[in-house]
Amino acid sequence: MISFNNVSLIYPNSVKTIFENLSFTIDEGEMVLVIGATGSGKSSLLRLINGLVPHHTGGILAGDITVNGLSTTTTKPGGLAHLIGIVGQNPAHGFVTDTVEDELVFGMEALNFAPDVMRKRVEEILDLLSLTHLRSRSISTLSGGEQQRVAIGSALVMHPKVLVLDEPTSALDPIAAEEVLSILHRLVHDLGLTVVISEHRLERVIGFADRIIAISSDGSAVIDIPEQILKDSPIAPPIVHLARALNLDSVGTSVREVRRMTTHLRDFTPLENIDRKFNEKVVVEVTKVSHSYGGKIALRNISLDFRAGEITAVMGRNGAGKSTLFKSIVGYHSPSSGIVRVLGEDPVKLQGRTRLSRIGYIPQEPSDLLIHTSVAKECSASDRDNGLPEGATMEFLSRLLPTVSPDSHPRDLSEGQRLSLVLAIILCSAPDILIMDEPTRGLDYQAKTILVDTLTSYARNLGKCVLIATHDVELVAEAADRVVFIADGDVVADGHTIDVLLSSPAFAPQVAKVMSPAPWLTVKQALKGVSNVTGKDSVQ
Amino acid sequence: MTKTFHPLTWWVGAVALAFAVLLSENTIINLLVVGGVSSVVYLVNKNSVERTPWSGGLWFAMKIALVIVAIRTFIGVAIGVPVPGTTLFELPILYLPDWMAGIRVGGAITQERLFFAVSEGIHIATLICIFAAATSLTSPHRLLRQMPIFIYEFGVALVITTSVLPQLVASASRIKTAQRMRGITRRGWSGVALALLEESLARSLDLAAAMDSRGYGFSRKRSRYKREAFSARDLTLIGSAVILIPASLAVFS
Repeated sequence: MISFNNVSLIYPNSVKTIFENLSFTIDEGEMVLVIGATGSGKSSLLRLINGLVPHHTGGILAGDITVNGLSTTTTKPGGLAHLIGIVGQNPAHGFVTDTVEDELVFGMEALNFAPDVMRKRVEEILDLLSLTHLRSRSISTLSGGEQQRVAIGSALVMHPKVLVLDEPTSALDPIAAEEVLSILHRLVHDLGLTVVISEHRLERVIGFADRIIAISSDGSAVIDIPEQILKDSPIAPPIVHLARALNLDSVGTSVREVRRMTTHLRDFTPLENIDRKFNEKVVVEVTKVSHSYGGKIALRNISLDFRAGEITAVMGRNGAGKSTLFKSIVGYHSPSSGIVRVLGEDPVKLQGRTRLSRIGYIPQEPSDLLIHTSVAKECSASDRDNGLPEGATMEFLSRLLPTVSPDSHPRDLSEGQRLSLVLAIILCSAPDILIMDEPTRGLDYQAKTILVDTLTSYARNLGKCVLIATHDVELVAEAADRVVFIADGDVVADGHTIDVLLSSPAFAPQVAKVMSPAPWLTVKQALKGVSNVTGKDSVQ
Repeated sequence: MTKTFHPLTWWVGAVALAFAVLLSENTIINLLVVGGVSSVVYLVNKNSVERTPWSGGLWFAMKIALVIVAIRTFIGVAIGVPVPGTTLFELPILYLPDWMAGIRVGGAITQERLFFAVSEGIHIATLICIFAAATSLTSPHRLLRQMPIFIYEFGVALVITTSVLPQLVASASRIKTAQRMRGITRRGWSGVALALLEESLARSLDLAAAMDSRGYGFSRKRSRYKREAFSARDLTLIGSAVILIPASLAVFS
């Protein structure tokens, strides 16, 4: 269906080759997963398939790419519109019209389809993706998962033979991601569609993939079945790392497989030796806080303390009240009733440098705080704002990101690099509390490791208080000491990470699901636990 | 769910109503019309599943209309030619140079002058409310989609352009909130503007790529999904709107 013959690609004004002599074929009805570190060219590979690269971006392409016999060098993306449906990373950026039905027909109208054909196809797609009840809704009022379904629908309505998806779940919470992926799974099986998909969070998609294309940073790529690739790929879901660390004979791609391979390791009662002690020093006191917006209650009488030296994960559905809680803590507004104190002071009254040295806040889009035109300017502005000696921020940044050039524009950095830059700006003034909203959206495993290391050393070594709002259970398992779960403005669970995560199967990380009932959340804990209990060196 | 009206129906109604209001010059009738259209908008939107960003258009326009009435009243009362009648109170007179003779700032405020200025303001506000109500009832995008085929292409381009606006507003407020939560206040709008500009540039590149890969502009001919037909209800409403025009001509002039 898709074949790449000796493909090489260089972007204009760049010395780095993105791909070097790439050759592979993808058969009809296959689901192929593209993996690689950020910046390795996953998006470029996907956009090569329908000719957006190089027709839309510029660049020099050598070799030949054909899809269903059509070469992308001679056919423009528009000419492949009936053959290839492509869904971008952020569905909201690709919407052309404002209502669901109009969006679905946009492509068909452009290709001059007959009206009766369009009517039939729209109904068919509305049913297939369960969008019927949303047909006349305005797209901007839909949730992230619904928007992604509309984007997939408007690609499928053209009856393409190939569907290309660039990180379809990176902007979604786990429930919405599940909804989108299960629909994709059904499409592959029911329609025999060829699907090429890229995704950071492998644990979500690995089960569906027939083959994997792994792109390495030198521009080469291998294509093989998941079990082969995952044997030694640095990019792998937690259960694969677990299987490797435990020296299992093969790697499994699902919890069930790995669980069956580790029966002999779980054949004992694990020792209860979890340290549940919390730190004493309270940094943030939230006392009986309630807040409502125009009659809608966002927080109901919440009392919480956040302590120094501790990372707390605040979890809960979108709209549960996490942001409102954070807004009250940073002093964006005074709550309707109740008291918030940061080190004994009202955060609303904190101003200027005192504020910067007390509260560090990183929004969901870290780049919202970046307003200068180069990394160096951003850093020196931060030195001025925080009253630090010249070069302090830059030095902090170079510990997080040794390779970044000071002249590069913040917008040209990858998501992970941008987050590191904002972290450096915020952390170099050593605020007493650090608050982050959804920090792992769009981060690859490598960037996540940097984040986890930075956060844990900030909390443990410097004794600061860290608050994270997140949906990412793997991050919570790796970094958090304590989990607060909020639903509908109420605190429904508050306790040690292990207790909260293990009490519900929906929130258990992969390792915990494999090792249950043993209370281990991460590969590291499982390794330590296994060697403690068996007493022998069964692991590396 | 009841079927919605044809988008042109509301606009024909709005034009006819505006015509009648223009002729009437009667404040009571104007206020009745504003009350009438806002209750129609309220009732229709309450039962409608279609929630477009335009639905709130009337309430926004009403706020603007109030401001207009206030400004018109102030100007009409404070500046201009004196109108004789019952004096309510006196303002100090600001004397202007000789070459601006005939214009006076301040002076006696008569009941007639105040009444005249307020009703003028209400007159303008009523016209604004009528057209805002039509916008609230049918998204202008739906109207554009009913355009004859030779300007349809232009209509589609306009739909694309205006679809971006609500997103832009949403991004702007997100960035502003993020910066305020960080404690950045002194930079004001310049910081937001730069971040916003960069985001919308990235967004428009994405949009162009999406339109390109969906075949926009590839085929020389474009088809149209569905033409909405006029129903009996539409025709009744349009019919009564058309009758309103000669009726108001007969009554008011």
